Amino acid sequence: MATLELKGLRKTYDRVVALHEATLEVSDGEFLTLLGPSGCGKTTLLRMIAGITERDQGEVWLSGKRIDALPPEARNIGMVFQSYALFPHMTVFNNLAFGLRMRGVTKKDIKERVQNALHLVNLTDYAERFPRQLSGGQQQRVALARAVVIEPALLLLDEPLSNLDAKLRDQLRHDLRELQQTLGITSIYVTHDQSEALALSDRVAVMNEGRIVELGTPHQLYQEPHSRFTAEFLGSTNLLEVELLSGFIKLPWGDILPYEGNQRGRAFMSVRPEELTIVEDARGQATVETVTFLGSFTHYQIRLGAHPLLVQSAGREKTLGAGSSVRVTVTAFHVLQEVTGVSREAVSA
Amino acid sequence: MKKHLTVPLLLLPGVGYLLVFFGLPLFLAVAGGFGLFTLNAESRFTLGHYQSLFTDRAYRDSLLFTLYLAITSTLFSFVGKAVFRAIYKIPLIVPSIVAAFLVLTLLDLGGVASRWFGLVGVSLPKLVRDPLAIGTLIALAWKNIPFMTLIIGGSLASINQDLPYAARTLGATPFVSFLRVQVPLALPGISAATLLVFIGNMAAFAIPNLLGPVYPLPLSIHMYQNAFELNEWGLVSAMGTFIGVVSGLVLLAYYALTNRAQRALEGRK
Repeated sequence: MATLELKGLRKTYDRVVALHEATLEVSDGEFLTLLGPSGCGKTTLLRMIAGITERDQGEVWLSGKRIDALPPEARNIGMVFQSYALFPHMTVFNNLAFGLRMRGVTKKDIKERVQNALHLVNLTDYAERFPRQLSGGQQQRVALARAVVIEPALLLLDEPLSNLDAKLRDQLRHDLRELQQTLGITSIYVTHDQSEALALSDRVAVMNEGRIVELGTPHQLYQEPHSRFTAEFLGSTNLLEVELLSGFIKLPWGDILPYEGNQRGRAFMSVRPEELTIVEDARGQATVETVTFLGSFTHYQIRLGAHPLLVQSAGREKTLGAGSSVRVTVTAFHVLQEVTGVSREAVSA
Repeated sequence: MKKHLTVPLLLLPGVGYLLVFFGLPLFLAVAGGFGLFTLNAESRFTLGHYQSLFTDRAYRDSLLFTLYLAITSTLFSFVGKAVFRAIYKIPLIVPSIVAAFLVLTLLDLGGVASRWFGLVGVSLPKLVRDPLAIGTLIALAWKNIPFMTLIIGGSLASINQDLPYAARTLGATPFVSFLRVQVPLALPGISAATLLVFIGNMAAFAIPNLLGPVYPLPLSIHMYQNAFELNEWGLVSAMGTFIGVVSGLVLLAYYALTNRAQRALEGRK
């Protein structure tokens, strides 16, 4: 098992900065997710850790050993690619055995370790099949088994579930987390899917425009985001520009809410759709514009004066119709500390 | 080693090869048209050859037709591409007969190469119309290298770029990754290119006719002589059938060998 430390990793392509100085620590056995939109630098960062993409500057330390100058084959890092990158001309057995053969493991041990790895991913009967004879989900599990069979110090996963349908993705997400916890392997996972990041991770590093914008546990980032980007990228939210009045908050439509802070001035407040409740009221100040039933919950797009708001209620509750007048209550909220380019830890300090 | 030296040194095998084997023949062809470095006359600048080419009606018509063919075909391959990438494709648009004359100009006794080597006291062996058909082999290889490069290059380029990286993260060196992952996956392209070139070479006519030994002659030349000089069409058919059968047998043997090689490279039993 291993710890990972990144110090000021930077990458530019021509004059475009793909990754600004990234500094990050990953604990032994931790599952950390790099979350961000396409082109934010998360895959570049992952590939720099693997040694596939050359860094411009910065250091990579794995378990106290500096590895940034080592070639990929000398880093002892397992990687699962978005395309799975299974060798199409090799059977499942030979795909898994490849890394062990490169390490000079004996035939007897290769057989045993490959079978154990296939057992871990429930593919014991598929050893003699070729990748083309497997479904997408099975290929993904082979790719995972191939990466862990070499017993790497660190496991890197580059959007491994993105090519699967939603139901299979949910199942494999669960399997992946279970496997990672069983093996206790330090893992870095790249995704643009916020629900994947929240479900899988011990911590999430939110990335945007080549920077780690914020770092924290899924709960911290979802419930107490520091930046507008994090608040908006992780799930849906209503961002309101409010006035802080030392102990109170004045909402844009004039309502006053109690607030524990002493600050004064203008700030942004994040209110999640589930933190708003609406009750039908003929004298209510808001109007329902659209209603979207989504099974377990219902989304209401409402308008309160000049302010559009998204409200979520449990799917079992009585559905209100479009055009209904409603009274709005804010049950919880979070005032953003708009700081970008600095990690949550740094902000806290 | 310093970076400004490392890069040229790393490029030297590839660039040097291109310049010597593709750039030089091109230069000789151009220079020859102006009377320079010619095989059968004193090297002396002249525009006489071009004067004949443009004033004689038969030549002029041929020239226009040749230009039409050349420009149309090269436009398809050169447009939008860097000059360097286009250089190695030159033999593709040079007819076999021209390739044979280029090799003749370069390698025949008294040719450019023997003159240059003579300057440093080195005497080249007979390379044209020699018993081992060295000149023929050079000309055929020169003609076919870009063809094979295109097919094999395309085959390698179509391989998922993550595969060699996956092999590297699993512990393979770049060479092992190339040998165990990229070569087996490119084998269909390599097989196709090899077979196409082989079958083309089996029936090659212009190059062995001009550069090959006096005896033995390749079957393709015998076929021509028997057909148009001796009117022995039955013999020609027999020779053609034989060439076809041999090509077929080689094709079968090649598939058996590559299949075996592929299994070995894949680590299968």
